[in-house]
Amino acid sequence: MTTNSKLDKKEFWRLYWRSCALDHSWNYERQQNIAYSFILASAVDKIYQDDEEKRIAALQRGLDFMAITPQISPLLIGINVAMDEENAQNDIFDESLIQSVKTSLMGPLAGIGDSLIPGTLRIIAAGMGISFSLAGSILGPVIFLLVFNVPSYFIRYYSLKFGYQLGTDFIKSMAKTNIMDTVSYCASIVGLMVVGGMVYQQIWLDLPIMVGSGDFAQPLVSYFDQIAPGLIQLALFGIMYYLLGRKFKTTRILFAVLGICIGLTFLSTLF
Amino acid sequence: MDNLFLTSVLIFVACCIPTLVCLVGIDLVGRPLVISAIIGAILGDLKTGIMCGATIELIWLGVFAIGASNPPDMLSGAVIGTAYVIISKAPIESAVILAVPVAALVKLINEVRWTVINVLIGSKADKYAALGDRKKVELMHWFSLSWGVFLRPVIIAVAIYFGIPWIEQVVASIPGWLSDGLMYATGIIPAIGFAMIARMILTKQTALFLFLGFILAAFFNLSIIGIAGLGCVIVAYLIFNKNQKEAVIDDNEF
Repeated sequence: MTTNSKLDKKEFWRLYWRSCALDHSWNYERQQNIAYSFILASAVDKIYQDDEEKRIAALQRGLDFMAITPQISPLLIGINVAMDEENAQNDIFDESLIQSVKTSLMGPLAGIGDSLIPGTLRIIAAGMGISFSLAGSILGPVIFLLVFNVPSYFIRYYSLKFGYQLGTDFIKSMAKTNIMDTVSYCASIVGLMVVGGMVYQQIWLDLPIMVGSGDFAQPLVSYFDQIAPGLIQLALFGIMYYLLGRKFKTTRILFAVLGICIGLTFLSTLF
Repeated sequence: MDNLFLTSVLIFVACCIPTLVCLVGIDLVGRPLVISAIIGAILGDLKTGIMCGATIELIWLGVFAIGASNPPDMLSGAVIGTAYVIISKAPIESAVILAVPVAALVKLINEVRWTVINVLIGSKADKYAALGDRKKVELMHWFSLSWGVFLRPVIIAVAIYFGIPWIEQVVASIPGWLSDGLMYATGIIPAIGFAMIARMILTKQTALFLFLGFILAAFFNLSIIGIAGLGCVIVAYLIFNKNQKEAVIDDNEF
């Protein structure tokens, strides 16, 4: 635990708001590094006001490679600030520890964060929003934004708070409680259920193929539906799932689908 | 053409919104679901805008930036696709005809920003950090960000102003089989997005929940909100049960 903390309320909220801009100066060389140094700059100035050498080192550290989910980033930022404070007070603190903690945490945190936030929370929000939007209701975009952003707000706030409070202890307590595993397990349950529902509701293929003759003619699709509703949807989903597992690029699959659909419709006009 | 000029200016302003509100923590305004609705409101057909948003969102549902792999530029694709549908009164599915290639094209322009401009700004920031000049380090971020705010909106507005009259002629000559084929594709493409998500979050332990969601929708006609609600109940049940089992050994502060 850090004692004598210098992070006052104003600085806490500055870190909070600045963390929202993490993706806005992205680059291929070191990804979110410009934004990350921007987020920390003001806090670093305050923490190291008596030690110019350490202050410059901290500013430069901020510009190291950074890649993390924006909504989870406050956790790392909090830990980073707590360690900087310890470094400022303690002369025997090993500075390289900050770097190594940052590097070793960002990978796993980005992994959990990406599957949790854009992978799950966004899908739940989109699933709800799309079902309203397809009917032309303004509730679609509104629900989409609320379901995504309200939880995001709390996730940012508590991860900054926990990260800062726990500092370096964070890693130990993470390992002890495996809270992250529980959170991502629970979120993926809801997420996958929503995906399953959308597989049925949002995929469609109304083949204009009729089976039978005269008054008894029925579209082919309705035969499938009599066997089990959603069989076509499930099959299409299964095919895509299989193709992605075989390391096919998504853009290639997308253009293949476009090509096949347009090609087949063209052929059907010839007969 | 006064009208088109005013429209282009309004669309420019609308396209600046997603980046700006992201700075106060409101994310995803640039996703098709939202930005298309805003474009619909500007062009006087909110309902069509919202429906275009849903159609385009489904195409790119599985797509988002992970690490160094960047998605097509959905903002420009959604805006131009939606604007075209509303202005030329085309069927909603045809928003996709424009959205997909436009998004791929504008992504290339973004790449220039990410590979050249922002890398140069980053090396400037390195220099200022070595000098201990905090204000200049912060300025580098603002400088890069302001490019991000205005670059795409400028491209989109120019494309709308010069492109729409021209696009109308091109699209009017599109044969029926092309738009029909496209319509079928828009029904199938969401499967790619769902599969991408499933590939990311699916494990052996959770796979059955995907089928539960599917069965609830297919056999019980439950809406997505109903399914998500039931999912929350299941999660709560699992957590309560787990806590009861672990209550004896549970000594952490969470």
